Amino acid sequence: MTSISKAFGSSQALWDVSIELFGGSVHALMGENGAGKSTLMKILAGVHQPDSGEIHKDGARVSFANPKDALDAGISTVFQELSLLPNLTISENMFLGREPVTRLGTVDYAKMNAETRRALQELGLTLDPSSLVSELSIAERQFVEIAHGIKADASVFILDEPTAALNAADVEVLNRHIRRLRDAGKAIVYISHRMDEIFEICDTVTVLKDGQVIGTEDIADLSPDRLIAMMVGRELEDLFPNRSENLGERLLEVTDFQIAAGSRPFSLAVHRGEIVALAGLEGQGQQKFLRALIGLFHPVAGHVAIRGRQLPLPANEANGIRRLRSYGAAFVPEDRKEEGLFLGLSISHNIAMALHSKVSELQPARSFSGKVHDTMASMNVKAASPNAPVTSLSGGNQQKVLLGRYLAANMDLLLIEEPTRGVDIGAKSEIYKLLRDFADEGGAVLVLSRETIELIGLSDRIYVIHGNTVVSNMQAKDATEHKILDAALGA
Amino acid sequence: MKPAEASERLKTSFGSLLSGRNSRQGRWFLALIILFLIAGLLSVYTEQFLSTGNLLNLIAQAMPLIITAIGMMVVVLVGGLDLSVGSVISFTTAILALGAPAYISIPGVFVLAALIGLTNGLVVTRLNVHPIIATLAMQFIILGFARILRPVSGGDIPDIVIASVNGAFLGVPLPVFWGIFTFVIAWKLIHGSRFGLHLFAIGGGRASGAEDAAHNFGVADKRNVLLAYVTCSCFAALAGVFLAGRIVSGDPNVGLNFELDAITAVAIGGTQLSGGVGSLHGTIIGALVMALLANGMNLANISPFVQTAIKGGILLLVVGLQSRKKMGL
Repeated sequence: MTSISKAFGSSQALWDVSIELFGGSVHALMGENGAGKSTLMKILAGVHQPDSGEIHKDGARVSFANPKDALDAGISTVFQELSLLPNLTISENMFLGREPVTRLGTVDYAKMNAETRRALQELGLTLDPSSLVSELSIAERQFVEIAHGIKADASVFILDEPTAALNAADVEVLNRHIRRLRDAGKAIVYISHRMDEIFEICDTVTVLKDGQVIGTEDIADLSPDRLIAMMVGRELEDLFPNRSENLGERLLEVTDFQIAAGSRPFSLAVHRGEIVALAGLEGQGQQKFLRALIGLFHPVAGHVAIRGRQLPLPANEANGIRRLRSYGAAFVPEDRKEEGLFLGLSISHNIAMALHSKVSELQPARSFSGKVHDTMASMNVKAASPNAPVTSLSGGNQQKVLLGRYLAANMDLLLIEEPTRGVDIGAKSEIYKLLRDFADEGGAVLVLSRETIELIGLSDRIYVIHGNTVVSNMQAKDATEHKILDAALGA
Repeated sequence: MKPAEASERLKTSFGSLLSGRNSRQGRWFLALIILFLIAGLLSVYTEQFLSTGNLLNLIAQAMPLIITAIGMMVVVLVGGLDLSVGSVISFTTAILALGAPAYISIPGVFVLAALIGLTNGLVVTRLNVHPIIATLAMQFIILGFARILRPVSGGDIPDIVIASVNGAFLGVPLPVFWGIFTFVIAWKLIHGSRFGLHLFAIGGGRASGAEDAAHNFGVADKRNVLLAYVTCSCFAALAGVFLAGRIVSGDPNVGLNFELDAITAVAIGGTQLSGGVGSLHGTIIGALVMALLANGMNLANISPFVQTAIKGGILLLVVGLQSRKKMGL
């Protein structure tokens, strides 16, 4: 791809971007959200057409009017949003748009299923080609999309954040498939925010910033710090704010909490001025514990007190969040798009939501425009105006709006799941600082995240959770990924 | 396999057959059970129900609804809806009753129906008008034309139309052949062609919120949606020809409420109104359920006004029980 430029309306998404892909190599594409990675790949995949610039493949100039053209030319894409049709079978999805027909003019299912089975076997998958895609797990769907590319004899594979929804075991399987494709001489583009993956699987990396190429380097010549520096012009240590010095009173106190029958009861506490993390392997009970406080999960036993007031357990699903709020505590869910934000509503509505819920339903609604303005300014939300719909914002700014809703409502305690999921590094750093400022002003934060590095850098204290109970309580400044894993598995 | 395991598997596969959860054909099996229940009840309470004469009569009664419902289902598969089918039926009988020669009027009604479907499809795909509004407007336009042509029922239907509905061949009444003919054409369209698969693909993408999913696979989505509306109107015209032969006249009101019955039949047959899930046999079963219900309510002397209310209630019930993620069909 040479000299690609693309503008959406008045905003220039790509400036004169050129990259080169080679067979038998995995090429990482990195950059903050909104840097233009996805736009660049969508042009390569035929979803968007470039305003200027050329795409050459094997020496010949090509152009794509739609994704099918690109696939026909040997470019296969696994997008962030999966694009398979759930009500069709695997083989129907594989052949959709160019199904073989029998002499009677009916769709040739025997041939489709046989070829699909062969393509799946190349990936070492034993899925039934005639099973519906809706029955597959997200990981399996991604593998099917890769098989789709293999079957179309694609030579270029684009993987746009393929691991965002996968667990560790599936990531391992995916990596195996990527290596297999690479060894078969395919060119692979890999987009991800997760540093460890980039260093494990990729050969070269191109960094984009504000729609321009910052540089292309061999991964062997880079360290994670250098790579981050390329992306944001900052080093990793600068990402996290300083830890807090002084603790206040106990805000959240949990005693004899038993998540599941048979698991060991545990106790924990969070003080004012403190950020406390729940760490450990995925699915060990961290999320169950947080969601028990709002009633989405019913624990076996336990006492929870916020500012000394007992929170009745099990909480009720219908009003768990409202009750929690009356205690001065807010719950920030992990999936901002599905659970947190009203994507179609404006920023100001989304922020004012928590303010509205503090006044009686019968009072006339205020706009809270001053408060919204202050919040947006203090959080550095980048948007055209407070009336812009949240869906038009980048992931990082969406996350800030979600946090802003609770910060604006003067909460004491924030319970946060995945504070920076799908957020670029620049915004991550800002969100860490916001949370630290909140704690410094006397608030308390209880946070869980899949990214252990983030937990270590952000928090003051870490509870390691394993097997539905707390197995270790360590100071974050002494913690390392290794120690946390040790504590979890050694329990 | 151990017996316990086998029975467990049988239970889950029966459960998914019943719920239609893991199938693209939807909840048709439940409709089949309901069909047999109603048939059983009717045969217990009325003596002549299971007689050959009554059953053949039932088929003839149900045929227009079966034909219309199949056409409706094609549109529903792509996430659309066609409220103009009842008017197309009335319009067709009105044109056939004009007294023109059969070799002109019979092709004529199908050409007109195709044009109506084409207009529906163009308004929906090109102007982005919601299908309910587009076809509601069309319903009244066509109804108006039907009433202009034939304000009250009457006129002369071509002999060949009357004979094709009321005669018999080798001792088998001709409506049975209508049924076979319709089934073969519809099966080819819906389950035996790339067109049919693309209908499922388009509807499946829309139902899961990915409007362009099928388009991105290179499926000509707008053209296929357009053709779905043409198909629906042509099936309605076919039902109109059949009805004209049965009532031996043109009638501007004969198609009244057919859209309600057809949509209800489609929904009972397990087709998801949001698109992408459904089956031909399910729709036929659904139409038969509606016909048997009407038959049973007539036998029980329930007033036609009450029957209309009951049918509306059934539609609300069936559609209300279907799963949907956001407000919609």
